[in-house]
Amino acid sequence: MEELNIAPQTQSEPVPGAAFEPAIVAFVCNWCTYTAADLAGTSRMVQSPNVRLVRMMCTGMVDPKYIIKALLGGADAVLISGCHPGDCHYINGNYKARRRVKLLMEILPRFGIDGRRIKLTWVGASEGNEFAATVNRFAAEIKELGPIDTRRLPLL
Amino acid sequence: MKKEYGALVVGAGIGGIRAALDLAETGLKVALIDARPSLGGILAQLDHQFPTDHCGMCKMLPLTQRDQSSQYCLRKGIFHKNIDILLHTELSGLEGDPGKFTATLRRRSTFVDPTRCVSCGLCAEVCPARAPSEFNAGLSQRTAVYLPVPHNIPNHYVVDLDNCQRCWRCFEACPTKAIDFKFEQRKDFNIIVVTPDQQLSQDLPLWFTNENFPLHPAATGEEALGLLAGGLDCGLMLLDLDLPQAEAERTLRRALELRPNLAIVLLVSKNKDRDKVGDKDGGKDEAVAALIKQGAREALPKPLKQAQAVPWLDKLFMRLVSDETLSIEVGAVILAAGFECFNPADNPAGSADLLLYGGHPGVLTSLEFERLASPTGPSQGLLTRPGDGRPLRRIAWLQCVGSRDVKLKADFCSSFCCMISIKQALLAKRRTGGQAEATIFYMDMRTNGRDYQRYRDDAENQAGVRFIPARPHTILPGPDGGVLVQYFDYAGELREETFDALVLAVGARPPKSMERLALAAGIEVNESGFCATRYLAPNRTSRLGVFAAGAFGEPADIRGSLIQAGAAAMGASRMIRVYHGPRDETPEAEPKYADVSRQAPRVLVALCTSCPTLERNVNSALLRQRMEVLPGVVTVVDVPRACTREGWDILRHEAEASAPNRVLIGACLPYVHVPRLRELGEVLELNPALMDVVDIHTASFAGRDTSFAGHAACLASCSTKPGGGPGACDCGETARTNEMGSLLAMAAAKLLGADPSSLPQATPVSPQALVVGGGLAGMTAAMGIADQGFKVVLVEEAEHLGGLALNLRTTLEGNDPVRFMEDLVEQVEKNPNIRVLKDSRVVLSRGKAGRFVTVVATGEGVAHTLHHGATILATGGREAKVYEYGNRVHKCVLTQLELEQRLAAGTVDASSLSGVAMIQCWRSRGESRNYCSRVCCQGALKNILMLKKRNPGLPVYVFYRDIMTTGFSERFYTEARRSGAIFIRYTPDDRPRVEFEDDKPVITALDPVLGGQIEIRPDLLVLSSGVEPNDASEIADLFGVGLTEDGFFQEAESKWRPVDFLKHGVFACGLGLGPATMRESLLQAKAAAQRAVRILSEKQLSCGNVVAEIRQTLCSRCGRCIPVCPYGARSLDLDKDRIVVDELLCQGCGSCMAACPNSATVLRGFHDEQVMAVIDAALAGQPRAEARPQTAG
Repeated sequence: MEELNIAPQTQSEPVPGAAFEPAIVAFVCNWCTYTAADLAGTSRMVQSPNVRLVRMMCTGMVDPKYIIKALLGGADAVLISGCHPGDCHYINGNYKARRRVKLLMEILPRFGIDGRRIKLTWVGASEGNEFAATVNRFAAEIKELGPIDTRRLPLL
Repeated sequence: MKKEYGALVVGAGIGGIRAALDLAETGLKVALIDARPSLGGILAQLDHQFPTDHCGMCKMLPLTQRDQSSQYCLRKGIFHKNIDILLHTELSGLEGDPGKFTATLRRRSTFVDPTRCVSCGLCAEVCPARAPSEFNAGLSQRTAVYLPVPHNIPNHYVVDLDNCQRCWRCFEACPTKAIDFKFEQRKDFNIIVVTPDQQLSQDLPLWFTNENFPLHPAATGEEALGLLAGGLDCGLMLLDLDLPQAEAERTLRRALELRPNLAIVLLVSKNKDRDKVGDKDGGKDEAVAALIKQGAREALPKPLKQAQAVPWLDKLFMRLVSDETLSIEVGAVILAAGFECFNPADNPAGSADLLLYGGHPGVLTSLEFERLASPTGPSQGLLTRPGDGRPLRRIAWLQCVGSRDVKLKADFCSSFCCMISIKQALLAKRRTGGQAEATIFYMDMRTNGRDYQRYRDDAENQAGVRFIPARPHTILPGPDGGVLVQYFDYAGELREETFDALVLAVGARPPKSMERLALAAGIEVNESGFCATRYLAPNRTSRLGVFAAGAFGEPADIRGSLIQAGAAAMGASRMIRVYHGPRDETPEAEPKYADVSRQAPRVLVALCTSCPTLERNVNSALLRQRMEVLPGVVTVVDVPRACTREGWDILRHEAEASAPNRVLIGACLPYVHVPRLRELGEVLELNPALMDVVDIHTASFAGRDTSFAGHAACLASCSTKPGGGPGACDCGETARTNEMGSLLAMAAAKLLGADPSSLPQATPVSPQALVVGGGLAGMTAAMGIADQGFKVVLVEEAEHLGGLALNLRTTLEGNDPVRFMEDLVEQVEKNPNIRVLKDSRVVLSRGKAGRFVTVVATGEGVAHTLHHGATILATGGREAKVYEYGNRVHKCVLTQLELEQRLAAGTVDASSLSGVAMIQCWRSRGESRNYCSRVCCQGALKNILMLKKRNPGLPVYVFYRDIMTTGFSERFYTEARRSGAIFIRYTPDDRPRVEFEDDKPVITALDPVLGGQIEIRPDLLVLSSGVEPNDASEIADLFGVGLTEDGFFQEAESKWRPVDFLKHGVFACGLGLGPATMRESLLQAKAAAQRAVRILSEKQLSCGNVVAEIRQTLCSRCGRCIPVCPYGARSLDLDKDRIVVDELLCQGCGSCMAACPNSATVLRGFHDEQVMAVIDAALAGQPRAEARPQTAG
């Protein structure tokens, strides 16, 4: 059994004994959360390096297929973050995101994807510290949860 | 060469930004200056705004031609191609006439070269000085070299010279040599010391040996002038007033003749003997004042001490050689210098002690509370008491601190504090999960905006905020570090409560620099110290061509400030057009971009390498390798410091050589590069949408102990580990390089997929406006547009112009509205640009911003078809009809408007009356009309003062809930109370009861002051019946705009777009938009006119680069995208059987794209393929899941 767990040489080899570093894709809106992320970065806040930001104009344009794509493409988790309710630059895009994510959360567990791997948060432009905290907390949660193994998903 | 601008805007708070944008969008060049080193004014410190409790500043950004301006959070900063921003700059002089002013600007140096500073923060790390942080309202400390606003962009450190200790550590620490204290120039800075004091002339050169200043002592004025005449290049003269007065004066005059720019500082002896002889000293002071008037810079007391004199002179030298004076030519000037918050500690009457402010950590100003609640504040948004850090759970707000206080010479209302306190109370509730108890002590709760009363009701009834109409008389330190508040409640009982914190709702004061600014701009100030404006010309100052915007002329909230700013912009724009004639400069040609859609992608990658943090933390060779293998990349260029002009030039040369059709730049602070991408686009003829800047700077800090000390410590610890040694550990360098490579690869993937085809065709504009409604607002708006040279059609339902304002006879401020309206009607009817259609109504309207087609039917049955580019709806309102309380039954019951008319006509004889009662808020602020009607309090005061003037002994009783005299109308409330009118507060639960005996009213009510029921039998009962909108449902339907539940027009955003509709190109003003005084209606109308001119002044309107498009072959016409669009930009074209996008209305949010089941809708710049490729690139650098060590199980 032990031998089966040895990774083939063709793949990028993990450092032996290294802790699991999750890959997280974050879809953030141009107006609030991207600004907050920028603030967190320029204020040198301690942030988990596991997150890749994908800037969208609005969380309302985050098509569920992007989330699924990221998960199937190797992301261990997906973060969607936009303006606070009522704060959307495009009036109501974040409400649309909220509904979509809620529906998605009902579907994904049926395919064997843990709902905890998807997170929707609201982070306003001045909340750099909140963004850093959200990212760090989420990364820690996913570390706890372990890597996603999409090949073993029941329906795929 | 002098720079020329259309307008100068002084003050870069939101008022200034709004005014500058309103002008810049019409194609005028604007210089926007601010005395502070940062943008955004007080709003930079406030995170939440009522009544939405959120920020929405970005909604102010332009909606059309979006690519001319920044498209990111406005709190970070702003860029517009027509606006030049000069910070740390003050207006020091304004000469000339409207259309051709010469403005002198003084730019104070920050001693940090913005083209070199990379905001690494090493300077602040080593700075030993500490000063209270302005950004955190003094709740935290900052260094002397600091970031004024942590989230601004561009964000460069500035040196605060006043607090600098001259240790030069920041200079030594700066890795890019951005800090410049002018050490090189010291040896050339000659100082002449003219003093008869032998000791001083010996001491000074000794003191300054280390500073390298050449000092030239001169015993007499002659000697000093001889040095100057001999050609000595002198920077400073110290002139001792112990010289004979005549000689000192002559020396000063002659020296300034020889060197007009010479700084002369007077040395004034402060002898103890002199102090005793009062008149002699007084004479000396006068002499000093006279010399300063003649051009001396300042006076310094003698005897000098080395410890003070050396730093002082050193700092003066740095100022003198670093500060700049600029001179620009402008057509008009807008002053938007805002206001300062009242500081209770400044109070000469000592109320700071009474309020415990400064002496008790639990007593805060509202600004300090705002910072406490802010995530960027000193406690990261946790509501804890400064000092002991206890969580705040019982919080009280005390209203009217520094406002409505005659003793403090503040006989005005600051207008915004009531709403701010409600907002803060709600914020405290929300932050603590409802645990916090919030109590507001108030005199009158001034919820005078259209939706503000509902906001208050929600706070009171749903959130449980306690409102107590009381003025606490005693505030003492309480147990557990709390604050003990004693007050008499509504029923007259003495109460005592302890709170964790007491927030003082501080009012507005004129800006500290007001005196200087007023002198420099040549404007008058009013008795409260704000800029003087006239009631019926509220956007104008006392000087022609100089306008007041924002809260500069009268304290106002955000909505009021923005409306005032829009009106000021309209005034300035009109002035520029009137005095310049038609705009002389030809409009700039839109940049032409080559069509690269048939070319294979050729990506140029430029990496900023020489930045110190990058050099230290990144393996640039590895990064370069990774970039070279990306698909489509033709060249990778190293650009030393992309943030500097030189770096940018290198980039441009490289780009010209390799002719790429995509450009990717890895640098810091992507937002800063937005304007540069435009420039590069013009050089390369490449659409900036095909370029991108990626922030690799932040990633370079990953790891993330990035200080030099931390880096060294890591290296040291690595080399001491067993098996370690230099080079064994890269301190995370590879990881950081990988992260950056991944970020760049993501951006490259997005650029590769970018659609290079040209944008949809621009919409040509019909240069004519339609104004619906011929009242005060409609006519003013029509004049505002017509005066700027555009045609206007004014449609009025009635057979004459004038509307509701025709009924007014007087104003509170003593103007003559009858005359004003007559003049306005005459001007409108005679204006060649305005076509008036009376007895007409709009029957049909189609189209979009820039191109509307509207059919207007006249009373004679003629239909006119109008083509217009913008629409203003000013359908107005009317006095509400009241049928209760005996109105229309008994002759002794009148409305305020009726009383005003009868007083003016003389049909009511004040001297024959024996008593008058008034009931305020009758039917307003409750039940069917839950809003403040805004005009009734002013109307009542107007009538009270008129009655009292004619019959001073007449008893007048006013039953009121809250008197809403905001701004400067407060003084009439004071005057009315002084004149003897009795104001009796009632509550909505216990209204005054009215009965009639012998046709005379008998009013019984509870008097809270006397604590019992009273009965009043006046001759006249006057009802404040309030305002309601005219029925606008039909017109709202025709133009596709919304109405509020009260029937007023629903603007796009009550604060940030106060006169816009969501449907672009349609604007609203006047009573149809909400209850308003004449002054407010005028301001709204002018602001709306300017918004319309913004569209009309374009030949054609183009959309932004991020806009929705439809792949018609994939579209199944399911129509799901139509209701999803928040801007109504999508519709089904039945003729062509296809979904169409109005690319001007589309703001590029992408909602439609997510809703489309067939991926037929795409958003330019965010195609599915692009987003998918970006996701792939983001995950490419990650070890694959199966390759990772598995967790147990």
